[in-house]
Amino acid sequence: MLTDELKKGSAEFLILSLLEAEPRHGYELQKLIESRSKGVISFHVASLYPLLYRLEDRGWIVGRWVEKAGERRRRFYRLTASGKDALEAQRDSWREFVAAINRVSGVRYA
Amino acid sequence: MPDHPLTYDWRAMVRDRLRAAKLHPQDEAELVEEMAQHLEEQFRDLAASVGAEAAHERLAAQLRDQSLDEAVARRRRRAAPSRARAWSSASIWRDVRYGFRSLRRSPGVLAAGTAALALGIGLTTMMFSVVYGTLIKGLPFDDPSRIAYVAYTDPQHGMFDGGAPQGDFQRFAARQRSFVGFGGLYGGTATITGGDRPDRIAIARMTAGVFDVLEVRPMLGRVFVPSDNQPDAAPAAILGYAIWRDRYASDSSVIGRAIRVSGKSYTVIGVMSEKFQFPDLAQIWLPLQLNPSLVPSKGQPLNIVGRLRPGVDYASANAEFRGLMKQLDAERAKPATERPVVLPYVRATLPKRVYTLLYSMLAAVMLVLLVACANVTNLLLDRTLGRSREIGIRTALGASRLSVVRQSLVESAILAALAAIVGTVLAYVGVILFNGAFGESERRFWMDIRLHPAVLMFVVAMAVLATLVSGLLPAIQAARLDVSSILKDESHSASGLRVGRMSRLIVGFELALSSALLVGAGFLTKSIVKLRSVDPRFVTASVFTARLTASPADSLKQRAFFESVERELGTVPGVDASYLGNGLPGSRMSADRFQIEGRTYKGDRDYGRTRTLAVTPGFFATFGVPVLKGRGITADDRQGAPPVAVVNEAFVRENFRGADPIGHRLRLGDSDSKADWVTIVGVIPTLYTVTMDDPFPPAVVTALWQEPRLTTLTLAVRGRADAASAPAIRKLVASLDPEVPVYAASTMTEELDRPTWTLRLFGNLFIVFGIVSLVLATIGLYAVMAFAASRRVRELGIRMALGASSRDVVRLVSRQGARQIILGLTVGIGLGMLFVRAIRAVLFDVRPSDPSVFVLVVGVLATSAFVACIVPALRATRVDPLIALRSE
Repeated sequence: MLTDELKKGSAEFLILSLLEAEPRHGYELQKLIESRSKGVISFHVASLYPLLYRLEDRGWIVGRWVEKAGERRRRFYRLTASGKDALEAQRDSWREFVAAINRVSGVRYA
Repeated sequence: MPDHPLTYDWRAMVRDRLRAAKLHPQDEAELVEEMAQHLEEQFRDLAASVGAEAAHERLAAQLRDQSLDEAVARRRRRAAPSRARAWSSASIWRDVRYGFRSLRRSPGVLAAGTAALALGIGLTTMMFSVVYGTLIKGLPFDDPSRIAYVAYTDPQHGMFDGGAPQGDFQRFAARQRSFVGFGGLYGGTATITGGDRPDRIAIARMTAGVFDVLEVRPMLGRVFVPSDNQPDAAPAAILGYAIWRDRYASDSSVIGRAIRVSGKSYTVIGVMSEKFQFPDLAQIWLPLQLNPSLVPSKGQPLNIVGRLRPGVDYASANAEFRGLMKQLDAERAKPATERPVVLPYVRATLPKRVYTLLYSMLAAVMLVLLVACANVTNLLLDRTLGRSREIGIRTALGASRLSVVRQSLVESAILAALAAIVGTVLAYVGVILFNGAFGESERRFWMDIRLHPAVLMFVVAMAVLATLVSGLLPAIQAARLDVSSILKDESHSASGLRVGRMSRLIVGFELALSSALLVGAGFLTKSIVKLRSVDPRFVTASVFTARLTASPADSLKQRAFFESVERELGTVPGVDASYLGNGLPGSRMSADRFQIEGRTYKGDRDYGRTRTLAVTPGFFATFGVPVLKGRGITADDRQGAPPVAVVNEAFVRENFRGADPIGHRLRLGDSDSKADWVTIVGVIPTLYTVTMDDPFPPAVVTALWQEPRLTTLTLAVRGRADAASAPAIRKLVASLDPEVPVYAASTMTEELDRPTWTLRLFGNLFIVFGIVSLVLATIGLYAVMAFAASRRVRELGIRMALGASSRDVVRLVSRQGARQIILGLTVGIGLGMLFVRAIRAVLFDVRPSDPSVFVLVVGVLATSAFVACIVPALRATRVDPLIALRSE
């Protein structure tokens, strides 16, 4: 079980990572995080959107209403250039952080 | 997949959650859209695994989570529109300009809306001018609401204001504390002589207190002081402006001169200003002589007026007078049956039926205004619908609901404001016409019907009312439009249906109101038609009449004077027949009780009632009245000969069941009558008498020369005689007695028209009301039906493509209108029946339940409603199915 602190710190990183490949909408992000983390990390309406809007305010992601043929209008979020930089920076620091934890705790990747 | 309802309205739930944040509408709309979508999809997935209820519960709990507030705070991109800014003058001005521009683009709505409201406002304003000028404004003196009238009512005998005996008045005057001014008066007519010709004018005798009540000053000289009312005071008179101008050439040295009124000499002490009138038509005011020895219940009946002391209200004045009356009752032989009631002057001196009539008329025009408003509501609803896309875009761009509502209201306000201007002009014309038709004899001195400032305030109030009534419903509809569904929905079909239902309801309401008005109009029309076509059964054409009052003298001299008038009248050139009598057939007959010899009567109430008229033998020739049985009044029926009478057929029917009355004797008056027994010598047809309820009453016609006293008589001449006869008759009378006035000269036709002016005036007004409301309701119904048919063009096209005939389509479309027509008519007829009861006072010889009027009204309304339905239906059948199918 992940503690709230950890989750909060990692959440931004997770969302930025998921948006790297393609633009996604809110519910899709929530579903992906839940399924890829096998239910360890989960979001809901009240926790996801403050995060999304915070990222949008920072200019890392941008939301846009998109209407696709045969689908309803949705707000899709995509990564901006500064979002990409932020993601790279976070990846680096996570890598360092994980390496440091490994060195200290002796936990090894399976 | 288990069954679960997918009907949770997540949009509404999110909107509720966000309400407290008071976001800008566009921010709110985006948040709602995004989150509701999210929740909807998540619910679908979750419900499949845990069940709908649990899923709903879980998501609702998440929605309540505090952390959502951060998201909301981050989405506050724009400031929510503040109330202050929304209502700034600049933004309202912008709305007004926008409203004008958009109304100019639809001149039809502008013209129809303004015309409908202008008719409504014009009629209500005219009617309110009448109500205000006659009932509300009060007397033309300072602080008129404090001028009170003490009415002596006798509930036991169903009498209102019989006048208070002078003995009672004098004690009230000495003891009362409620009034600062307190006076008594009575009115009458008198002959004024001197100058170029004698005249008969209205006078009033009053105490000095009356002038304290009115707080008026004379133009010249002085008004009465208490010493003028003392028994030994020198006789003084105050002249009215018109007399001073016409008889005394506006000579200011008239003060101190002597004038002769009904043979007595008075010294002029004052002249009143042109505006002063009280009471009614009085032109000379004489002092009322007080008599300290009069005990309660004795003396001339007086009208009592008072000015309330500051701080005293009508309730406490009434309480005081009830107490005073108890004291007075203790001083009388037996307590009086009358009770003093203190009321505002106008309320006390106008019959209650005038109040009922005028307020019913005002209510009637308010109904017309409502019908007009309903029409405008429909026009605007239709517009709202046509503009729903525009409203949607405005809302999406950040217009608050309030500003959408306001924009709608501004448009109805523009219509109402234009209508108020046009309506005021209509009312102005209406008031002129009304004043022209208002019978001078019925005009009370305070009545001043014109567009007073208060009336203009009323116009403003009506315009505001019209704005709200006609604009609020479309405004609310506009605000309730769901933004996102409108932006997506191209055909607006859902909102169209909702508006259509509302419009149909409004039209049902319009139909109800118009049928109520038409019922009223129908009854009055029937009354007027009956009145116009009534056969009086005596000659009225080329008959000219006037009145004479003999100079004060002993009765023998007066009789001799009138006898010479009778003789000489026949010698006037062009006169074929002449008449003298104590009244006139048709308009001026007295009413009296009577008994028939040999019959027993238990009390006064059992005595018969009849009209009476005393005539010279010329009566039969002048008015062309045939004698059906026996003989008429002849020259031999003089004093000393046995008293005789002829009766009419109604009298015979009522009192002799058709048996021969000739030879029976009757006596006029009730049980204490000292009149002679008169023998019935003939029967004449029942002559018309101008009354609303009983136009052909029983009547007893007696011989004029057998009457004991003759002072004022009416003459009538028939022949090539018209108003031009007046000078010839005046000359003749002057040659017999230069001091006798010839007055109230008119033709017989005028004489008969005069008493029915109320019916004709109000009847014509009502017909106008009815027609206006019928036109409005028909247009309203037409608009709604045309609208409904146009919304169904596509459907009708499909039906016709599938083989429906034109007849089927017409039936389909008009069936939609039938329900509201039937409902509207039913409610309206019920309302109309209530209404007719209220205006019964002006119905002539028509029962309020007369079915023919109802049948006619239903016929007229149903026909016009049918036309309003069928025309759009027929137009719908002409639609080319191919075009209809392609239409959006």
